[in-house]
Amino acid sequence: MEYAVEMKHITKAFSGVKAIDDVTFQVGKGEIHALIGENGAGKSTLMNVLSGTFSYHSYEGSVLVNGKEMKCSVPGDANQHGVVMVHQELALIPEISVAENVFLGHLPRNYTGVDWKKIYTDAKEVLGKLSLDVDVKTKVKYLSVGQQQLVEIAKAIMLGGKILILDEPTAPLTDRETDVLFRILNDLKKEGITIIFITHRLEEVFRLTDRVSVMRDGKMITTKPTSELTADTLVSYMIGREMKNMYPSDVTEKGELIFEIKNYSVEHPEYAGKKIVDNVSMKFYKGEIVGISGLLGAGRTELMMAVTGSYRKKGTGSIFLEGKEVVINNPKQAIRKGIGFVTEDRKGNGLILDQSLSFNISLASLDQIEKNHILSRKKETATAGRFLKELKIKAQGASVPAKSLSGGNQQKVVLAKWLAVDPVILILDEPTRGVDVGAKYEIYSIMKALAKEGVSIIMISSDLPEVIGMSDRVYVMSEGRVTGELEKSELSEETIMRYATDSARVREESTWVK
Amino acid sequence: MGKVTAGSAASIKPGKFIKNNFVIIAFILIFIFSCFATPVFLTVSNITTVLIQNSIYAICALGMLMIIITGGIDLSVGSYVYICVCLTAGFIQDGMGVAAILVVAVMSMLFGCVTGVLVAYAKVAPFIVTLAMTSILKGLAYMYQVGESRRIDGTYWPEFIQGSILYIPTPIFIMVVVFLIVLFILNKTKFGRGLYAIGGNAETARLAGVNVKRYLVMVYAIGGFLFGLAGMILAGRLSMGTATVGDGYELDAIASVVIGGASLAGGTGSTTKTLIGAFLMGILLNVMNLLGIASYPQMVFKGIIIVVAVLANRND
Repeated sequence: MEYAVEMKHITKAFSGVKAIDDVTFQVGKGEIHALIGENGAGKSTLMNVLSGTFSYHSYEGSVLVNGKEMKCSVPGDANQHGVVMVHQELALIPEISVAENVFLGHLPRNYTGVDWKKIYTDAKEVLGKLSLDVDVKTKVKYLSVGQQQLVEIAKAIMLGGKILILDEPTAPLTDRETDVLFRILNDLKKEGITIIFITHRLEEVFRLTDRVSVMRDGKMITTKPTSELTADTLVSYMIGREMKNMYPSDVTEKGELIFEIKNYSVEHPEYAGKKIVDNVSMKFYKGEIVGISGLLGAGRTELMMAVTGSYRKKGTGSIFLEGKEVVINNPKQAIRKGIGFVTEDRKGNGLILDQSLSFNISLASLDQIEKNHILSRKKETATAGRFLKELKIKAQGASVPAKSLSGGNQQKVVLAKWLAVDPVILILDEPTRGVDVGAKYEIYSIMKALAKEGVSIIMISSDLPEVIGMSDRVYVMSEGRVTGELEKSELSEETIMRYATDSARVREESTWVK
Repeated sequence: MGKVTAGSAASIKPGKFIKNNFVIIAFILIFIFSCFATPVFLTVSNITTVLIQNSIYAICALGMLMIIITGGIDLSVGSYVYICVCLTAGFIQDGMGVAAILVVAVMSMLFGCVTGVLVAYAKVAPFIVTLAMTSILKGLAYMYQVGESRRIDGTYWPEFIQGSILYIPTPIFIMVVVFLIVLFILNKTKFGRGLYAIGGNAETARLAGVNVKRYLVMVYAIGGFLFGLAGMILAGRLSMGTATVGDGYELDAIASVVIGGASLAGGTGSTTKTLIGAFLMGILLNVMNLLGIASYPQMVFKGIIIVVAVLANRND
């Protein structure tokens, strides 16, 4: 095979820690090559070496592009060799035109200054090639994310890109936009352009790519033709062990009724008179994992935030804890009653990123490590240490800042914070969003273990396989109402989606809720 | 990210060490420089003067530190000093005796509460609230003072402030006590932990059960009390009440906190380093005075020090 890219024995360390270790990576000319691995496996570091982000002094090994050695001092050098990276965060300027963005930094000139005619005709041509049908004079901010992605690719082609590195290009795209992108990538491939495709979505690997390379812990694990692989083998390469089932299969026993929400409603924060949660009743039992499913905006998060006193609007209705009616006005009262809430947005409201792991882990359970308002550092460190071990949090110690951890480990820190309050009810909102496969499985195992101990687990999730794989029972919500309650045996993606989208059912069967 | 190689955590880079302890190193260097620059510097009387002079600034800086840790700011420090100098002298003149001190203390705390309530419950930006308070308190001070200076020479308060406790001049003694209390609050109490959490991410703090609103009111009240305390000490040192001292105290306080490595974005800040920051500036001004440098160049130097400190403390 003729190689477009050959990276040989690349080692790159950051302050003594090897991010990639003796990695050899070869990409054939004109192929679409998938690069996959968990968060922190070293994919980005490897691609930053290839795209010239790191100067050639800062790593060991050699990079050959089309057989010629490439030594980059500044990021632009790689472009000269035809290597262009399209980053995950789009780098377009929203307030200027599509054409100007395509030529950003390389505006063609003539004797009067900028050659606008050439910009517009060339931009039109390249966008035509990508079948992007927009006026090249439109400001970028009026384009959809999918269209912006294509403008980024157009920019890369105009830079003379023969080897394109796409870092998770489909993450912000809808299914239809993804289809369009894949068609275009296949067209580019026919023109002899080589594409390195970084992704987390395994089905995309099989749909699009010719060969796959898998990285783990800074090492290259394998490179194989895609056709020789299955999803299961890919996952086992990624996590380094066989994975028969994504979800732990332990059966837990349903205990007594612990938490009940009755006829609960919450006003919509923006539209007066509208309800974001509308007359919801739910029951939760000890040792049970209950999934709450539904589409975005169904009111699931708002319901759970309101019943725990965390929402900006107060709800009406009643809440019963172990049979007794209770009033919860703020998160503190919820915590004192043993309700933990692992929120969805760990960076926005789950963590204090600059503070240490022990600070974060102890934050919700300060009552337990204090006496007469004085904190016990000893207890704090002990608790943090215990959770780092129990939840297998990969960190250099409890004193490193939370921001230094990968997404999966950050999520475990948030989980540890809520486990530290010894919850009897644990609410988890999208507990595995943006978390890699290995950490996902560990989080699931922890949830199962808690259920076994008798904790009542409430899991809000938009990930249907997750809801089906983990839940003993599922409430489906739509437009603020409960539209369905499904036992484990009734769970299927079709059934859940039917209830989640069937708003007519709400009106017909508003008394349906038990 | 990536593989964690064993033992790599153990090595601390010298660059990082300097960065983390910039204020301490700078303080030592300036101190050593001062000793050589002028023989007068390292004498008991000069050092005592520096300590007494700067204890007022240091107390203000410690109050400011607690507020800055929550991501807030208080621009009205100077005005607290104005009004508390006037009220202390006025109340003593009116024959209130020791009660005068208690009343002024409670009043300054109440002013702080007003700020805190506006910040926490009315959700007005601290910058704006305290800007308004600056004007309000200053106006009240002038109204109360009606142009006259109230002398309180010979009363118990100047005698107490100008005297000493356990052989330590009273202002220094008070400053040390304040320092120890703030140190204790920030490092050892749930309240202190909450302040850091609020500054780091107020929403995370709220959802973790921190009573954000009450803590904010408390921190502005404590700040107000400390600024008021600075005013009371100043009244004692001057033996009179006058609405002409206190100008620019807020900027000195903010500068000390920032030199001490805190971020105005909140969530960080060290009690000890703030204290050192306050005295770093104090020593610098003192040695410049001793070297006969005029006051305008001194202002330039002060500004340069602040910029250098911020650059040195910056992460990455």
